[in-house]
Amino acid sequence: MTNRTRTPGKTSRIRYACQLVCAFFVCAVLGSGPASAELTIRITEGADAAIPVAVVPFAESGGIPSSDKVSSIVQDDLTMSGEFNTLAPEKMLSLPSQRSEMYFRDWRLLGQRYVLVGQLSRSGDRVEARYELFDVNREERILGSSASASANNMRTLAHHISDKVYEAITGVPGAFSTKLAYVTLDRASGEPRYRLQVSDVDGKRARVRLEGKEPILSPAWSPDGEKLAYVSFETGRPAVFIHELASGNRTRIAEFRGLNSAPAWSDDGRSLLLTLSKDGNAEIYRMDIASKNLKRLTNHWSIDTEASWDHTGNGFFFTSDRSGGPQIYHKSSENADPRRITFGSRYNARPRPDNEGKYVYYVHQRDRAFHIARTNLKSGEETVLTRTESDESPSVAPNGRMLIYATKQSGNSVLTVISADGGAAYSLPASEGDVREPAWSPILH
Amino acid sequence: MTGQDRDVTRTGQQPWKSPVALSLLLHGLIVVVALTGWSWSTPRDEPQPQSIAARLITQQQPEPSPVVEEREQPDRDEERRRDQEEQQRREAAERRAAEEEKAREDARRIEQEKERKQQEAEAVRKREEQKAREEEAARQRAEAEAKERERQRAEEEKRRQEEARQAEEERRKQEEERRKREEAEKREREEQARREAEQKRKEAERRLREQQLEALAEEADRAQQAEARRRQEAAAAKAREARMMSESEKYQALIRERLSQAWYPPSSATEDMTARLQITLLPTGELQAVKLVSSSGNTAFDNSALGAVKSLSRYPIPDDRDTFERYFRQFTIEFNPRRLQ
Repeated sequence: MTNRTRTPGKTSRIRYACQLVCAFFVCAVLGSGPASAELTIRITEGADAAIPVAVVPFAESGGIPSSDKVSSIVQDDLTMSGEFNTLAPEKMLSLPSQRSEMYFRDWRLLGQRYVLVGQLSRSGDRVEARYELFDVNREERILGSSASASANNMRTLAHHISDKVYEAITGVPGAFSTKLAYVTLDRASGEPRYRLQVSDVDGKRARVRLEGKEPILSPAWSPDGEKLAYVSFETGRPAVFIHELASGNRTRIAEFRGLNSAPAWSDDGRSLLLTLSKDGNAEIYRMDIASKNLKRLTNHWSIDTEASWDHTGNGFFFTSDRSGGPQIYHKSSENADPRRITFGSRYNARPRPDNEGKYVYYVHQRDRAFHIARTNLKSGEETVLTRTESDESPSVAPNGRMLIYATKQSGNSVLTVISADGGAAYSLPASEGDVREPAWSPILH
Repeated sequence: MTGQDRDVTRTGQQPWKSPVALSLLLHGLIVVVALTGWSWSTPRDEPQPQSIAARLITQQQPEPSPVVEEREQPDRDEERRRDQEEQQRREAAERRAAEEEKAREDARRIEQEKERKQQEAEAVRKREEQKAREEEAARQRAEAEAKERERQRAEEEKRRQEEARQAEEERRKQEEERRKREEAEKREREEQARREAEQKRKEAERRLREQQLEALAEEADRAQQAEARRRQEAAAAKAREARMMSESEKYQALIRERLSQAWYPPSSATEDMTARLQITLLPTGELQAVKLVSSSGNTAFDNSALGAVKSLSRYPIPDDRDTFERYFRQFTIEFNPRRLQ
């Protein structure tokens, strides 16, 4: 931990020479004097806690909509990430909105590391936010910017600010302006209503994109965030659709005999990985979307399914029970031999790699419970990330720092966001009924 | 001179060397020889008287036989006659014996006379010889004495000469000695002067050397003391160092702990990122300055490190000012997340 470096500098050389001379006269070898050394303390562990951040309610001028308070949204965003511990406004000693009003000592006393202040001003239909982020200990402004949005779009403005703050502190782009796609099941009216919905990452502003009494599964975002692919049983049989969100146009691209499931977009958005059983048992194919041409990528008597491209775009992870139970495998290219990734338990399924090639996340069974786990692809080390027990469908945020999955909460299925290393969990407010099959969108532009 | 005189006198008195004594001794010797050994030495010179006696003994030889026969004759006349005869014979024998005895006595007297005469002659001869010898001896003595005197004179002369020579020699020797003595004395004086000078010089040298030695000794002493002091100081410094070290380690651990708690590595942090910060503290433990000496390459990471360092209002530092100055006045903190998942 501590490293003591002795620097044989000029002084010590001179001293050495002096000693030699002395030795000549006194005929005594002198012991070496204390060499100059500068202490080095190495810090290898950080606080096992979220970063304390204070989001001061923004000063407002003009008619600012009171419903969606920007600072509150930002505060929730930062909290949801699991990386920040935000200070409740009622505990603040002052409510500055600009640098001149900042008393760093106060914030330091409150144990805060960062303070976000801002001002909202309305001009016509638009609201402008001028905001500044201060590093309390360094007493420096590390962010100062302004952004504007239409008055009815304060959430977008807030998520944008969250992204900027997140990036300023962590060095990683925020993913708060992204979207979630998921499927809800509502049994309230007697017959099941399946709804494909798209919302903000905090679950707000959810909009139903598809609704039916037949199950909807496996929504998958196109790389540009404009389309969703999913499996729908609306025809009575599983079929894969591509759904253009802006227009609502839908295309049924795969309705082969047997199983049609688990679509996954390629990086260029031109092809999909699909699981089809048209040739006997479940195998993975790549379909060129434009031509609908198929290429079979796996060939095994066991089930191969739930494919997902890796970060290179050349290889893919998938679930196969070729070794008996479901395990995660990886093919580094379409023609490479599959390599088994998971060994920790008898059930590991639904792999979702991050976009950096570091980890693969999946559903992991241990002691009859289903958790979300991840494996470090370099070291092979497996870490269980969740403490909930019926976890399924993990999906990784595009910045790789957050993870959303479905789990059971008092009988209902809910969505939970955790930080990618298993930090604090943030459950999305439950809408009606079960919420399943979450899919985190790419970063939207 | 006197020694030589004495020597000469003593030589003249030597008894065995004197001729008178020698003659006396010779006479004595002759008398003794004459008294003891004359009887057995003379017969060879005088054989005749002995042969006369021997003839007489042979005439009486047949007598023993009638003695034996007589015993066997019982006849008294015979015996008487034999007794007469015997008597006669005996008387004859006695006469003969007396005659013989008388003859022998005469012979002996003659012999003795002869011997006496002989002795007398001999004595005369001897006396004459003695006299001649004595004369000769006297002559010789006189000669010898003359010679002796001559010799003594010569010797005396010689001695005188010798003495003169010796005296001269002595004088010369004395002169020489005196000269030598004077020379020696002179030399001695010179030597003395030289020795004194040498002594002085040596003394000066010795004093100088002593001074030098003293100086050297003092120097050595000083050096030794300095060395001892230095050793002592080094040992003390070492002990202090050790104390400071352990003290320092304690506070390093405290600082590490505080900083670990204060550091929020950003989510972009990776294990290969290292930010090095140079810290300068005030003796109160407050942060005086912090300098980013080596960036991790990630601004958020650097800022997190800076933030952590600046977040401590007061650093835990040792009370000992030396330890503080030595280790905590200025030191480096390295932020390097090694336990990232």
